[in-house]
Amino acid sequence: MPDFSFIFAQSISGLTAAMFLFLIAAGLSLIFGVLRVLNFAHGTFYMLGAYAAFQFMQWLGPGRGRFWLAALGAAAAIALLGGLVERFLFRHLYGAEELYQLLFTYALVLVLGDAAKMLWGTQQKSVSAPPELGGKALSLFGATIPYYNLFIILLGPVIALGFWLTLQRTRAGRFIRAAALDRETLGALGVNVDALYTWVFVLASFLGGLGGALISPMRATTPGMDTEIIVEAFVVVVIGGLGSFWGTFFGALIYGQVLSFGILFFPRFSIFAVFALMAAVLILRPWGLLGRPLK
Amino acid sequence: MHRRTLLILALVLLLPLAAEAQKPIKVGMPMPLSGPPALFGDPASKGAQMYVEEINAKGGVLGRKLELLVRDSKADANEAVRQARELILKDNVEFLVGTLTSAEGPAVSVVAKENKIVFIAPIPKTDQLTAPDKLHPYIFRVASNTTIEGRSAAEIVAKWPVTRVATMSFDYAYGQDVTKAFVEHLKKVKPGVEIVDQQWPKLGEQDYNPFINAQMAKKPEAIFSSIWGGFFVTYSKQAKALGVFDAIKYHFIGVGEAATPETTKSMGADYPVGIWGNSYDAFYWGETAAHKDYVARLSKYLKDEYPSSWAIQGYIGMQFLAEAIKKANSTDSDKVAKALLNLTVETPVGPLTIREKDHQANRGQLYGKTVKDAKYPFAIMKPVTYVDPTKFMD
Repeated sequence: MPDFSFIFAQSISGLTAAMFLFLIAAGLSLIFGVLRVLNFAHGTFYMLGAYAAFQFMQWLGPGRGRFWLAALGAAAAIALLGGLVERFLFRHLYGAEELYQLLFTYALVLVLGDAAKMLWGTQQKSVSAPPELGGKALSLFGATIPYYNLFIILLGPVIALGFWLTLQRTRAGRFIRAAALDRETLGALGVNVDALYTWVFVLASFLGGLGGALISPMRATTPGMDTEIIVEAFVVVVIGGLGSFWGTFFGALIYGQVLSFGILFFPRFSIFAVFALMAAVLILRPWGLLGRPLK
Repeated sequence: MHRRTLLILALVLLLPLAAEAQKPIKVGMPMPLSGPPALFGDPASKGAQMYVEEINAKGGVLGRKLELLVRDSKADANEAVRQARELILKDNVEFLVGTLTSAEGPAVSVVAKENKIVFIAPIPKTDQLTAPDKLHPYIFRVASNTTIEGRSAAEIVAKWPVTRVATMSFDYAYGQDVTKAFVEHLKKVKPGVEIVDQQWPKLGEQDYNPFINAQMAKKPEAIFSSIWGGFFVTYSKQAKALGVFDAIKYHFIGVGEAATPETTKSMGADYPVGIWGNSYDAFYWGETAAHKDYVARLSKYLKDEYPSSWAIQGYIGMQFLAEAIKKANSTDSDKVAKALLNLTVETPVGPLTIREKDHQANRGQLYGKTVKDAKYPFAIMKPVTYVDPTKFMD
């Protein structure tokens, strides 16, 4: 029987992974919820967020507070990019078949992926952890928890709550929820649905870019990280329920823990455990744990 | 009339033959140029291209110029096979030099065998590529292999004051083979050692935290890792945050080129300075005049002050091919294949020989403990030693 400190350490690492995944999957789920399109390019926005953070760090240089500026700058830049993509490209496809929209987001993956390669090359890039948190760790119940991981664990629920409150309590949030239910009626009531869609894209891209920027101190930034993450994020939203906000949150939590503890029981097949879970969910509740059945 | 027809026919038939002598010798190179493995594939292909340009400037081989056709294999065995077939059938390449991963190499080897075309693998390390049941007359390797690499690491770890050793490797051909070679050789040279834990994350894993926690719970005193390239950056950042290197007093060896200048450069201050690692090449090695000269040329060619350590593998691959064509005095694949056996080439990293027995070159690697050096803004291996594998290749 493994001791408590190990189990605790494992659950913390699962929690960290979950909060990262939530940041990225939330944007994917939001776009699907409102626009009914699976945005393959969301992983690319995440990758560009990491590259942008690297670029901002190059310009700013190391120092206190610089990382946070870089991360916010990166997220804002990616939000802008997402907005432009929606306004000038994606908008023309709303009338088209879903397949075309899907193909378009996939084309974006290829085009933006190659653009990133032209800008930053194929060499891996690395961003240092912020000096305020990097290199320090908390010892709790015999487990080592880096401060940066702790920050991520706390940030996840804050963003989730803020996001949820925006959707529930603000005028814009109500419009977004209404758009998800019935676009035409909302338009007929005089709401500028086009602008609303642009803002949904901006918000989702902001979250994706922020996820990429925040993960850059923990991982290498390389070409190809976009397609890796999109698969994981997709599994999360499928487990939680496509378009369901809290479903995405719980999907991420479950994913993180299954992956973390999976290696105890099937050391070489922990990734299999996650996919087995997804398969089980798809069989028992095809619309996900907290999702609604599609009409 | 009849005679004139014959004459024209003869001319038509002979003309292409005359033109043949002037045509370049085409060499196909399937190599990953996209995704994370492009990190090595891209510079390796440029090293090959540099050699081609250098030799063409001197008049080429047998009076013919070399022409390198590089294709993106996407680090995928199926794609590498497709590209290799297309290069042979459509582009009429006469030789293949290329592939990077241990999945691509053996797959393309089969194509070379079918088409009876010499194939020189400059990077794939899996022992299976030249294992007795897979060996055929046309496959050659100028890369190191998993036996050489695992045993080289074991020789180093055996000298450390540790008995509890753990391993961290990707769960696929390269990771399994190199770890097996390491463990077997370590147990042989230091029987008292105990392997307390082995972790097998999937190839390309991004989150190592659960694996690191599980490993550290077994209290190892030393860790052998074969997490390679950009993945090592991710792994070591997370391991450092969890205090792994301090806990094992930097008794850590990273094979899979964890100490290349590219890796230490990209990580800068985040690199776990003090660990051991290896590399195919290092611009600061400067062991011989030939190496210094090569680095100077490469630096100019790549327009990089600290040129890539991977270019050397493409360079050596092309060098062996050109020397074999010269020795065979022919571009016939059967003759070139024979010429490659026991061929010794003076490479920038010293003389290398392809053994007749398994078509494997005695290619070792540079090993060393990483330290900070005032001369560079990143860690280097110091002292850096070339581990010659000749004595433990069998």
